[in-house]
Amino acid sequence: MTGSHPSALTAAIGATIVGQHDVVESLALGLIAEGHILLEGPPGVAKTLACRALAIALDGTFKRIQFTPDLLPSDIVGTRIFDQRESAFQTVLGPIFANVVLADEINRAPAKVQSALLEAMQERQVTIGPASHPLPEPFVVMATMNPLDAEGTYALPVAQMDRFLMKVEVGYPSSDEELTILERFAVARTVPQARVCSLADVAAWREGARAVHLDAKVRRYIVGIVEASRHADGIAVRGDDGTLLAASAAIDYGASPRATLALANLARARAFLDGRDFVLPDDVRGLAAAVLRHRIGFNYRLAASGVAADRVIAALVAAVPAP
Amino acid sequence: MVSRRRTSGRRGIAAAALAVAAIAATLGLARAQSLQRLTLTAFTLSADTSHPRFEVPFHLIVRVRVRQRVVAIDNLDLPVLAELELLGDVRTVRASRTGSTYREVITVVAHHTGTIEIAPATLEAIDATDGQAKEFFSNSLRLTIGGGPIDALPGFRLWRSLGWAILWLSIALAAAAMLAWLAIVMARRRPQPLPVAIVPEPARPIPTLDERFADALTVLRASPTRATAVTVRAAIWRALGADAGGTLADAMLAPAAGPRAVRSCLAALERAAFTYDADLAAALEAACAALAACVAKGTP
Repeated sequence: MTGSHPSALTAAIGATIVGQHDVVESLALGLIAEGHILLEGPPGVAKTLACRALAIALDGTFKRIQFTPDLLPSDIVGTRIFDQRESAFQTVLGPIFANVVLADEINRAPAKVQSALLEAMQERQVTIGPASHPLPEPFVVMATMNPLDAEGTYALPVAQMDRFLMKVEVGYPSSDEELTILERFAVARTVPQARVCSLADVAAWREGARAVHLDAKVRRYIVGIVEASRHADGIAVRGDDGTLLAASAAIDYGASPRATLALANLARARAFLDGRDFVLPDDVRGLAAAVLRHRIGFNYRLAASGVAADRVIAALVAAVPAP
Repeated sequence: MVSRRRTSGRRGIAAAALAVAAIAATLGLARAQSLQRLTLTAFTLSADTSHPRFEVPFHLIVRVRVRQRVVAIDNLDLPVLAELELLGDVRTVRASRTGSTYREVITVVAHHTGTIEIAPATLEAIDATDGQAKEFFSNSLRLTIGGGPIDALPGFRLWRSLGWAILWLSIALAAAAMLAWLAIVMARRRPQPLPVAIVPEPARPIPTLDERFADALTVLRASPTRATAVTVRAAIWRALGADAGGTLADAMLAPAAGPRAVRSCLAALERAAFTYDADLAAALEAACAALAACVAKGTP
């Protein structure tokens, strides 16, 4: 088990999840790049299953938290209770103390719960009472969101959205994939592959990804793409009805420098996943949408135009010449 | 014209005075005899201008008309022209069947303004009508010398100098304009060089993909650096028809990038362009090998 390649992890997840190659790869990339992943898609497209498969494939702990409106911060991070026998307060750690945490339907929890999660995601520690408790390593939050059912949901704060390394769109499978899903889960009983990789492997992958060379030309390319989200003058997107939408008119605010770091880290992770020790512009371009789509503030004009946000991001990326 | 009779002697003078009288009579006779016998019809004194000006020459004209044909008029005395300066004198006699006309033109100039009186000219001759020696008088003249010449006016010399300067300047400008015009005319008339037919060089044949790969290999082998690898990569992309601002994935989509060898070549060049320094030598070597393989196999 020790010394396995991340492709073993993706293969293990792929043995459970039909299709959704981008999702599977994104989970692995998030794990390698030490980031948290936001999965958005309609119900029943294997968001939760993918996270579960990842956690099971890892020789680590997995916790699932179903976010609801009545959820309290202590339900996530833990609390202190008074032990009458010991006559002292004892700290009970919450479900956030796991290597892989699935925050299911994260946007159904109120702001105070999301704030509690914010500290865990950024600082990788939780403060309960007077003491701070470090989270286990690796620690990955995989949150899911349902874009269709908006009733009873809370918009995620921009600061929290920025903490997610990438946002992965999970779509419906193709007909063939759906047929395979039927055979795999209705006819037979597929069990996720367990303990394909160890936590030490993950640590080694992360170390390897950090060593991946990021050429100066590629660094400039990354900065150029993120800057394009802030200064999108002269970039236009044509909608399905033929109308032109100026990207600058559809964007209220661009991506933060954290997006630059995220894109660089993810590009390194992608190169490492591909077995390279240097980053190519293709790595950057292929990950730009996942890094930028939840960090750019799109306004009502985009919604009114009917143009997908990813098309605007594609236009931004295309406007920056690759090295 | 006016005439006076002269007395030649007195009767009853004493014998001692006879000689004197005789001499006097002889002298008077001799004088009368030297006079021309003329029949004057006109004897005038005139000026060619009625308003002579200060310091401006003008002419006085004495005209004698006689009925006799003569070649000259003798004993004509001009008036004393004390207030005028005599500049010249021209005398002409024109004879015809009806007589002769004597004309004397005297050029004079006045040196001061004002009115001057010119006394009549006189002519001593024997009046042919009665044989008497007579002195004939022309008319007198009264002239008013006025104004003076224009160059005597205050500032005239300055204005005259200025006028001359303007005149010469105008002449010089006109001459320059003429020369310029002549130069233009001459230039236009100068035969133009015949247009040289530019024969385009025969178009070089577009290098084939194989040749470009071979060139890239030569260049990369000659200078195995990252910069050369980047340049060669861009050249290969152009040769394949890939967008310079695209990525490797775009270049792989080019129709000419189909063969496995070409794709390996693109990947090797990508590595050489973006790998870390410690791996650069190996990457360049791999790129050269990939290019060599491409050249050896040839592209479709």
